Amino acid sequence: MSLLEVRDLNVWFRLPGGGELHAVQGVSFDLGPGERFGLVGESGCGKTTSVLAMMGLLPPNASVAGEVRLSGTDILAGGEDSVRPHRWTDLAMVFQGAMNALNPVRNVIAQIAEPIMLHGSGGGAGGARGAGRVSAVAARKRAGELLELVGIPAAAGARYPHEFSGGMRQRAAIAMALACEPKVLLADEPTTALDVMVQAQITDLLVRLCEELGLALVLVTHDLPVVAQVCQRAGVMYAGEIVETGTTDSLFHNTRHPYTRLLFAATPDLYADDDVTSIPGAPPRLDEPIMGCPFLPRCDSVVDRCAAERPLLRLAGAADGAGEVRHAVACHRDDAGGTT
Amino acid sequence: MTSEGILLDVADLRTRYPVRQSIADRLARRPRQWVRAVDGVSFSLRRGEMVALVGESGCGKTTTAQTILRMVEATGGTITVDGQDITTMSQRRLRPLRRGIQMVYQDPYESLDPRFRVRQTVEEPLLVHGIGTSKTEREELISSALERAGLAPASLYLNRYPHELSGGQRQRVAIAAALALDPVLLLADEPVSMLDVSVRAGVLSLLDGLRRDGRLGVLMITHDLSTAAHFADRIAVMYLGRIVEYGPARRVVTDPRHPYTQALLSVVPNRDPRVRNVAQILSGETPNPVAIPSGCRFRPRCPIAEDRCADVDPALEPPGSGSGGGSAAHQVACLLA
Repeated sequence: MSLLEVRDLNVWFRLPGGGELHAVQGVSFDLGPGERFGLVGESGCGKTTSVLAMMGLLPPNASVAGEVRLSGTDILAGGEDSVRPHRWTDLAMVFQGAMNALNPVRNVIAQIAEPIMLHGSGGGAGGARGAGRVSAVAARKRAGELLELVGIPAAAGARYPHEFSGGMRQRAAIAMALACEPKVLLADEPTTALDVMVQAQITDLLVRLCEELGLALVLVTHDLPVVAQVCQRAGVMYAGEIVETGTTDSLFHNTRHPYTRLLFAATPDLYADDDVTSIPGAPPRLDEPIMGCPFLPRCDSVVDRCAAERPLLRLAGAADGAGEVRHAVACHRDDAGGTT
Repeated sequence: MTSEGILLDVADLRTRYPVRQSIADRLARRPRQWVRAVDGVSFSLRRGEMVALVGESGCGKTTTAQTILRMVEATGGTITVDGQDITTMSQRRLRPLRRGIQMVYQDPYESLDPRFRVRQTVEEPLLVHGIGTSKTEREELISSALERAGLAPASLYLNRYPHELSGGQRQRVAIAAALALDPVLLLADEPVSMLDVSVRAGVLSLLDGLRRDGRLGVLMITHDLSTAAHFADRIAVMYLGRIVEYGPARRVVTDPRHPYTQALLSVVPNRDPRVRNVAQILSGETPNPVAIPSGCRFRPRCPIAEDRCADVDPALEPPGSGSGGGSAAHQVACLLA
C-alpha cells in the first residue's frame, strides 16, 4: 500500500449554458514517502484540476469521482467532511502564484503562524488534532523553525512580503504549506515565474525537503526539464488523462507515446543540436465527447484503430530490476508492438 | 569588424532612473540616487541576424530595448540605426525611422486590444504612420503581413477577435502588426515565455525565418539560454546593466568564460534525467542597481573573485587577451577569464 493512491480520478465542470466539461478523465497514480512525481502537459490538460480535486478545493460547479487514498483511506469518500481533516495536515498544496498571494499588510511570520494556530501543528489525521489549538507564542516559534527549514533566517520573518525577493516569497509560500507537517505536498508550477537561478534554488529546496522530511511531492509543471531533474517518476497528461507514465528516465530514453516524443522535441535543449519543432494544432475541446484517441488530430503516427477506439493506459516495455513493469502508455501503435 | 551591413549599433549605452526621494531625504539634502538600469552596454546587429540579450530579471534587458525604441531617453552613449544616430534625434525627425523599429511584447493576452478584430489590430500601425491611402491598399498590406506571420490564408483570421485565437496565434497577430510597417529591426521581449511549450517553437521559428529572409534583424530578449542557443547567432549575457559576455551563441554556451555565464548555464535543467549538472547555485539575487558594487559588479556573488576584482571594473574584451588567445568575436568582462 502506497502512501498516496489516486484511482480513476474524474472531474466534470457544469457549464453555465448547460453541458459539461470533462476536465480530468480517469487519472491514477501512486506515491510513496519521499517520492517525487511530476504531472506534465500543456495548459488546459487537467494538471491543476487534478491536484485541486485531491485537495477537495474545486468550485461548486465541479463534480468529482474516483478515489484519493491516503495510507489506504479514501479521503474523497465523504465529500468535504472527509477531506477537511486531511487538508493541510496530511495533504498540502503550494498554489500557482502563491508567492504573489501573501497578505501585503501582515508580516511574513504572522501569516505562517496563523494556520498553525488554527490547525495545530502536525500529528496527521486523527492524531493530535484534539489537542488542536496552539498558543500564539508557540505558533510563532514553529513558524520561525519553518522559515529556517526553507532557508530563510527566522528573524527575517518580521519583514513584510514586499521586502522579500521573489525567491524568498516562494520559500515562504512553501513554508506555509509545510506548517502542519503534511505527508504529501502538491506544488503547482512552483518555479514558473522565477529566474533560472532562483528556479534552481527552489527545485533544490523541494528535493531536499523530500529527502530530509520523507515528504512526497506531486510537481505540476509544463516544464519537462524541471521534471526530469526533480522527479523520479512522472505522468504526461493530455486532454484530461495520463497518456504515458513511468520513471523520468524511461520517459526520456524509451519514449512510447507520440505526444511525449513531440513534447520533448518542442523543448529546446542547451547542448542538443536537434531541431526544435512545435506540435501542430491544439488540444481537443473537453465539453464534447471524444471519439477515438484524443491526440489523433495532432499525431504524426496514426494507425487505423486510432479513430475508432480510445486507447487505454496499458503497461508497456521491459520489467525493471524488481521484476515490475512501471512504464504505461495509452497508444494503439504501442499495442501493435510498434514504437514511436 | 567593418561597419558595413550593420543595422543597429549600440555604443556605451546608459539609462538611469531617479529614485524617488522622500521629504526627509530632501530636507536632509541627501544626494539624489539613481537606478543605473543600463550602465554601459555596447553591441551591434546586422540585417539577417538575431542577437539574444540574456539575463535574470532586473538586469536591464528590457530597459535596453526601451531605450533603443526611444521610449525612455538614454542618459549616455549612442544608438545608431542604419547609419543614423537616433540617440537625441527630435521626435519629428525620428518618426519616419521609428517606423522601421518595431517591438513584439511578451504577453499576447495583454498586448492585443480585446475589442479589436485582427484586421483592426494590424491596420492600426498603418493608420498611425499614414501608410496605404486607400482601404484596399491597406487591406493588401494587412493580408500580406498576416501571411508573413504564418496566419494563412489571412481571410480566415481577419474578422476574428483575440479571444477566438490561441496563444500562439495571438502572438502571430502581434508579430503581423509589427511586420505591417515593414521594419528593419524587430525587438522581441520574451516573445514566447507566456505561450505553451507546444507552440513556442513555431513562434521562434517564425522569427528565425523572418530574419533569415534578410530584410530585418531581430533583437530577442530572453531569460532562457536554451532558446537563445538554438535560435540566435550571438548571445549577450547581461548582469546589472552591463554585458558581461558576448559572442557566437554556440561558443558562449559550450565555452563560457565569465563566471556568471558559467553559473547561469550550470542551472539550466537538462531534459535527460541521466545528465545531472553540477549546479553552481549563486546565493541571493541580483543586487540593487542603485548601489552597484565597486570594481567588478559581479564580485560579491562571484565564486572565484580575487582582491584585484574590487579595484578594476573589467572591460568587455576577448578572453585571455593578455596571452593572445581567444578570438575577437568572443568577449568577456572578467579579469580572470
